[in-house]
Order: sequence, then C-alpha cells, then structure tokens
Amino acid sequence: MSRLWPVVRREYLERVRSKAFVIGTILGPALMAAFTVLPGLVMAKQRGKPLRIAVLDASGSLRGPVEAALGDRKTGGDHRFVVEDAGTGPVDEIRTRLRQRVLDGSLDGYLYLPPDALQASVAEYHGKNVSNVMDLGLLDKAVEDALIGRRLAVQGLPADKLKDVMRRLDLRRMRVSASGEREDRGGSFFLSMILMMILYTTVAMWGAALMNGVIEEKANRVVEVVVSSVSPTRLFAGKLLGVGAAGLTQFLVWAGFMAGLALFGGAAFLGGQIPEVSPLVLVLFVVYFLLGYFLYGALYAAVGAAVNSQQEAQSLVFPVMLPLIAGVMLFPAVLNSPDSVLSTTLSLIPFWTPILMFLRVSALTPPTWQIVLSIVLTLATILVLNWAAARVYRVGILMYGKRPTFPEILRWVRTP
Amino acid sequence: MSSPRDAIRLNHVSKAFAGRWAVRDLSFSVPRGSIFGLLGPNGAGKTTTLRMVMDILAPDEGSIEILGEPAGPSLRDRIGYMPEERGLYPRMVLEEQLLFMAEIKGANRAEAVRRLPSWLDRMGLGERRRSKVNELSKGMQQKAQFIATVLHDPDVLILDEPMSGLDPVGTDVMRGALLEMSREGKTLILSSHQMETVERLCDGIALIHRGEKLLDGAVSEVKRRYGKNTLVLAYEGDGAFIAGLDGVAKVTDFGRHVEVRMADGADPQTLLREAAARLRVSRFEIVEPSLHEIFVEQVTAHGGSAAA
Repeated sequence: MSRLWPVVRREYLERVRSKAFVIGTILGPALMAAFTVLPGLVMAKQRGKPLRIAVLDASGSLRGPVEAALGDRKTGGDHRFVVEDAGTGPVDEIRTRLRQRVLDGSLDGYLYLPPDALQASVAEYHGKNVSNVMDLGLLDKAVEDALIGRRLAVQGLPADKLKDVMRRLDLRRMRVSASGEREDRGGSFFLSMILMMILYTTVAMWGAALMNGVIEEKANRVVEVVVSSVSPTRLFAGKLLGVGAAGLTQFLVWAGFMAGLALFGGAAFLGGQIPEVSPLVLVLFVVYFLLGYFLYGALYAAVGAAVNSQQEAQSLVFPVMLPLIAGVMLFPAVLNSPDSVLSTTLSLIPFWTPILMFLRVSALTPPTWQIVLSIVLTLATILVLNWAAARVYRVGILMYGKRPTFPEILRWVRTP
Repeated sequence: MSSPRDAIRLNHVSKAFAGRWAVRDLSFSVPRGSIFGLLGPNGAGKTTTLRMVMDILAPDEGSIEILGEPAGPSLRDRIGYMPEERGLYPRMVLEEQLLFMAEIKGANRAEAVRRLPSWLDRMGLGERRRSKVNELSKGMQQKAQFIATVLHDPDVLILDEPMSGLDPVGTDVMRGALLEMSREGKTLILSSHQMETVERLCDGIALIHRGEKLLDGAVSEVKRRYGKNTLVLAYEGDGAFIAGLDGVAKVTDFGRHVEVRMADGADPQTLLREAAARLRVSRFEIVEPSLHEIFVEQVTAHGGSAAA
C-alpha cells in the first residue's frame, strides 16, 4: 500500500492545484446560480414597462369589455397594459394608421377583433415583438375572459355574478416526502434535470481527465520510469483513486453549496421557490457520481492506455461515451413516470444507474431495495470493468506504434 | 552459479518480438562496484536488454540475476533506472517530481528531502528546483532525470545513454557523478554510442549486434586481445598511399592523425620506414586499438552498418 499512496497523492494534488479545477469548482456553482437566477431577474425587470396596446374592433360590440379587461391585468401590482385610443374611421384606414404607429414605436402592438370574433372566438395580435410569451399569455387570458363574459351576458347572466363564475382554478402541486409536504412550482423538475446534467458532465469530464493523464504519461515516456518502481496494476489503481478523489472534492464543494442554498436560499431562485434538496438526494448525488466515475473511468483509462495521442483517442472514446449519452437521452421517459417498470428496469442497468437511478431518486424516492440493488449491481460491474481495464492498461502503456484494434485489446484482457 | 562478486548476471537470455529476436542467447556478468558498458549499433538490443534487467520486460528464455537474486519486483527499490527516452512529468515542479520518483521507489520522504538539495546543487539545478520540467533545457532535464534515478540511493544503476544531449561541461559533471557512484560501491551498467565515454569510464564492456554478443570482458583485456598491431601516425604531406602498403589492413583517418591497423604478422617497422621516406612524420606510436576501432571492425565484420 505504501507505493499506492504517493501515486494517489500526486494525481490528486496535480488536479486540485490546476487552474481548471479551481475555476470549475468555485466558478461552477456561481455560474449555475447566475444562469438560474439571472433570467428570472431580467424578466422581472423587463416587466416594469407596460405594453402600449390599441384595440381595433371590427365586430362592433367588444371594444369596451376587451379594453376594460386589458386595463385590469396586473403583474406584481403594476398594470401590464396601457390601452391607447385606436381612433375612428373605416377599419382599413385605422389598421394602416396603427401599423404605422407600431413601426415608428409609439405603440407596442394592436389587437384586431374580426367581425365574427365573438362567435368564432378568434383575435389577432399585431406587434413588432410577438415572442414575449408571458405578456401574450396574459393578453390571451384577458381577451378570452372578455369574450366569455360577453357571451355569458348574452345568455342573461348579470354582470355582478360574472366574477364568481369566471374564478380561475389554482392547482397547487404539493410534493409529498418523508419530511412533510411542500408546494412545488415546477422547480423540482428543473432541479432533477440540472443535477442529472451535472452528473453526466462530471462523469464524462473526470473520465476524460483520467484518460488524458494516462495518455500524457505514456506520450512523455514517464510511465516507463514509474513502472520500474510501481507495478502497472498499482499505478492504475493509484491514478483511478487520485483523480477520483479530486472529482469527489469538487462534488463535495458543490453539494455543500447546494445544501447552503437550500438552507439560506436566494429568494429569486426559480420564482421565489427553492425546490427541496433532501439530504438523501445530496448523499446519493455524490454516491452516484463516484459510481459513474469508477465505471466509466475504467473504460476511459483503458482507452488512454491503448492509444498514443489524444487525437487517436477520439474514435475509441465514442463507444465509451455512448451508453452515458444514451442514459441522458432516456431521461424524459424516466422523469415522466419514474415508477414504471421500464424506468425501474433501465435505472437498474449499471451503465445507466448513475444517471437514471439518480434521476428517479431526485424525482421521487424509489424503494430502498432498488437503490441498494442499483449500487450493488454497479459495484459488481465496476469490479469487473476495472479488472479488465487494469489488464489492458498493463499491456497498453508500454506499447507504442499502431493503435490496436478492438479484438487486439480484448486479447490483452485475456492474456494472464 | 551465482557468485557474490557479480551484481548482475545474464544467463543465455533471449527475447523475441513478433517472431524476431531482439536479444539472443546473451550472457554477461557485471562485478559489484564496477561500471559496465553495453555497446552496440542502433537496434542492437541494448534497450531491450536493460528493460529485461529492469524487469519491465520478461525474457523468453534464460535468466537474470541481480545482487544474487532472480530479477523481479522485490529488487525494484534497489535499482535506479534511467531510460533512453527521458520520462518526467512536463508540468510538474522539479522538486516535487524528484521526491515523487524517490518515494515510489520506497525511499523515506524525509530522507529524500534531506538528500535532494546537494544533488540539485551538484547538477547545477539548485535555482531551478521550483521550475516546471517543461521550462528546463534538454540538458537540465537530462540531469534532473539522473537525480530521479539516484535519489533513492540504489545499489545498482541502469543508465540508457546517460550522456546523450549533454554539453561538454554537463558530460564532465555526469562522468564525475558516475565515477563517484562507482567509488561508493554501486554497480553501474550503461549503454552508449559514445566510445570515448565508454573507454574512459567503463571497467568492462559487452558489444552486442543484432541481439547477439560479439565480445565482452574488461576493457583492458578486450584491447589486449586485439594485440599490439595498431599504430598512430601523424604527419605532414599526402598520406593516401598508406592504405595501399603491404601489411596494412585498415586506415582510419581522425583528421590530425590516422590510426592504422596492421594485418596479422605484418611488421609496423616497414610502415615507419616507408612513411618516413615520403612524409614528414611528427608522431609514430604503437598503441592498443581504440574501442571505436574495435566496435566498427566487429560490427562491419558481422555485416552491419556501424552507425556509432
């Protein structure tokens, strides 16, 4: 064991001291927070300026109610729309005038209600910007309310009853977990996705870091000196552990950051509602990272030992990454019904466990036996893969020249 | 078979790669505390031999004994190995790198830390101890590699081309260090193309070519075996006719003098008379042949280009 330690320490220190690590670890969460919080902040800021809208009514009976409905709409206590006078005259003439005003910027847009607007329930919004989803959603609701109110009035419903009839449903999504119930406004979906993407990225990143370390050692011929001191198998183990420890350090910093955010949280995060990150999710986040790293890391290291340069590695690395990428692509199916037989089966396949089982854990808590089983199965796979990878490594690091073919690599595994 | 006198012993060692012999039936022994030179043209099997001694490669046939034990992992710590292709981590700080190399050889870290400064100073790297390896010149990297080889205080040093890439000052520093190691009782085995280096440094040599040994023994004995039929001649005038004289087997022009090898039984005195009659001779000396001469002759005689 004494020879393992210097190798582990060297690998660990070399990684942790690198600029890329410091930037990735410290700046990573900052960037992540910025990306999640900033859009919300920016949207809130933009909301400050209400839209100036004119209503061009060709039906003759809707202008009043629609204008009133638009004028009533508020977000965060502010009026969202300023209704401008469309003027009078023939419809075509007004339309030309309004278009001109939109073009010269004195109007944000105008609403056109065709003659059959009430019966067919149709309207058109004309504006320079029609991708402001939130505002147009609000406008849609306002006009719809006005039209329905109008129809109800035609049916004989008194105006003062209108408000009661039109009351909107407020569906609150309550997430049930062992620690109690909590309202969720879509945050946990995003959180699951973000955490899964982090897992995917870091497993691929640290695997590649391990691979590049192996390639560098081989290309610089350092490996020849080192294996004259330490056996190749021990060197392999030392590298795997050292790089893994650096990855774990990064993960612990991130997990700590998330725990801190959950405890003290920024109010702006995902619409003022921070999705719950339970301690179990945090622990398993780290566990599944380690499982993913040791599983894919073995493959990455074997590829590194088989090739002579990073360019050569490209073509061999793709088959290694394929299952990882496939796992990420399966995520919508799993997230939609985390408890289905399909999701359960997929998440128990070791190559996908780190991604998909974690996804299920973050979306809902699968039975403990499934979590345990997934870990046991993955550990068994890790043992087998690392055994094979160590054998490829042992032969590969002293082989220079032509890149070996896949059957040749398999033969290396079989040679005792 | 094992004699306690010998630090390294190869018994009929063979190694093939893809059906071709890299080393074939090679035997030699290196006495303790001596410096042994492994000579041979490119591709002769020198590096393969050293790798087998190092237990990086296993011989297909034959056996290798080091310090009285069969070569194997248990001996790794007592051997220092300097490969032909230098191997240092390019982005690692020199000092940490050297300590790492000593530590994986089982050296006590504190002990290595204590020994390191004097080695760095001696190799002229004292001020570069915090530099990264890729910031060092080629010669400096070479010296750094040497420190990495000896820092754990091994009993046996295996050096593949230790002098290549060094300037004259560096060569002297390295030679001094090697001689001191030998005086301390360590056994050194080195491969080289530089015959002059080998001649001035080594006690014994083995010359291999195409994986097979052509000759071996103590340097003085090898030279004696070649007899006193080599002479050095320095002169003014056109000496081209010398090669055509009776009894002259070979002439090697060294610029300021020529080395003449006489055929067996020929008398050097006839050559002197002839030369004195036609040239202004400033030097005439009967000498032992240089290793260079022996090397070239042996290798050409065995049908190889002697790219020494």
